[in-house]
Amino acid sequence: MDLKALKKQESKRKISKGYMWAFFCAIFWGIWYLPGTVVWVLNPFDEMSSAIAKTSGDGISLVVTAVLITAFNALAVMLALMIWNGVLGKYGELIRTLKEFHPCSKWFFLASIFGGPMAILGSFIAMGFIGGAFSAVAGLLYPVVGSILAYYWYGEKISKRAAIGIAVIVLGGISIYGGGLLNELSSGNVPWIGYLGGLMAAAGWGIEGAIAGKGLDIAEPDAGLTLRFLGENIIWWIIIVPVLALVGFPMYSFALKAFEPLTLLILIFAGITFGFCYVTWYKSFPLIGVGRGQGIGNLYGLCAIIFIFLFFGTAPDWTIIIGGALCIAGSFIMFTEDASELETLRGE
Amino acid sequence: MSKNRPIKFRILELFLNGKESWNYEIVSKIQEEYGMKSNFQRDSINFDIIELASGGMLKDVEQKVDDNGIYKKGFLLHKYMITDFGRVRSSDACLRSV
Repeated sequence: MDLKALKKQESKRKISKGYMWAFFCAIFWGIWYLPGTVVWVLNPFDEMSSAIAKTSGDGISLVVTAVLITAFNALAVMLALMIWNGVLGKYGELIRTLKEFHPCSKWFFLASIFGGPMAILGSFIAMGFIGGAFSAVAGLLYPVVGSILAYYWYGEKISKRAAIGIAVIVLGGISIYGGGLLNELSSGNVPWIGYLGGLMAAAGWGIEGAIAGKGLDIAEPDAGLTLRFLGENIIWWIIIVPVLALVGFPMYSFALKAFEPLTLLILIFAGITFGFCYVTWYKSFPLIGVGRGQGIGNLYGLCAIIFIFLFFGTAPDWTIIIGGALCIAGSFIMFTEDASELETLRGE
Repeated sequence: MSKNRPIKFRILELFLNGKESWNYEIVSKIQEEYGMKSNFQRDSINFDIIELASGGMLKDVEQKVDDNGIYKKGFLLHKYMITDFGRVRSSDACLRSV
């Protein structure tokens, strides 16, 4: 076979593999909202939120419960990633990367602050207060935050195309938030904390992406992502959960009750789906470009709505569906690059 | 520098002399230094090079068909060199001789 044909074949193989990874990411990410929603009604989390509600009120009880759920989610993801690294034989690389704190792993720890206590906690709060479909679709706004941040931080130019994409996503956001809000304003009962959770998810993932990229440039993603979740576990289990326990919330007594078969099963399910959505996301970038990888990955919003409908039988409001469709359309507009730009993702 | 630093750091360092290198040269050097013998590990190192190139730190300057099975028979071999951005990132990573 000649050089030209072989080049074509190689690029075709790369692109189809990249799309496959990105598509798996969308499926895993979408499925994650199933265990994420179910876990709220399982014990000990169900008992916990009603116990705390009696003394501290509904709002605080849901946020504190969301903290414990997010902490367990982080633990489950860490477990899934440790097994993954073990299978790939990457413990050595993991330790080598961890040791490079100044040039490399500090970025993962910094990213975990925004990914964990902001984005993932926000997602769980939105699931608990409003619902899985809202939470999934609200997170779709993250590329807006990410690109605005990149503009101010690295001076990355926003092309006309990207600006149009951002505008379409923002329109989608208005539909997602506005539709439900109008109904609730008229009934006088607005779950503000749930909406705040949705915004936390979008802002957190946008910021996390911009920061983690600095470390992932020069690290293996399998090792880098594990360190990012190591950081998140430290934040939850060494800082936030003990602080909440000190303040007087019954964190440990309920945490110890989480070792029930069904609860553990659901948490492990959450860990596997969330861990692998991150892994597959990063695997797709070198093959099809960050833009396309994120564009396809954003189909998770659609996947989540479909899975929630199939498993729970709840159809979301039409304003959420329209908003989600606009966000996905916007991310495709924003991220569709010319094929010639695929080989290198950054200018020199 | 020894094998105590992450693989991508070492790959960048190997390119810092400014010379162009073929992927199989880099892969076999890393395999030897880090004691990574399996085919899976070999492909994983090659994927690291592809990631560095897609991140804009290496540039793919030449390709040829692997007729003799130096790396994988019938597949493409790639020759890379470091970019200015790759040098900047290497200096962030405290690599020597930047």
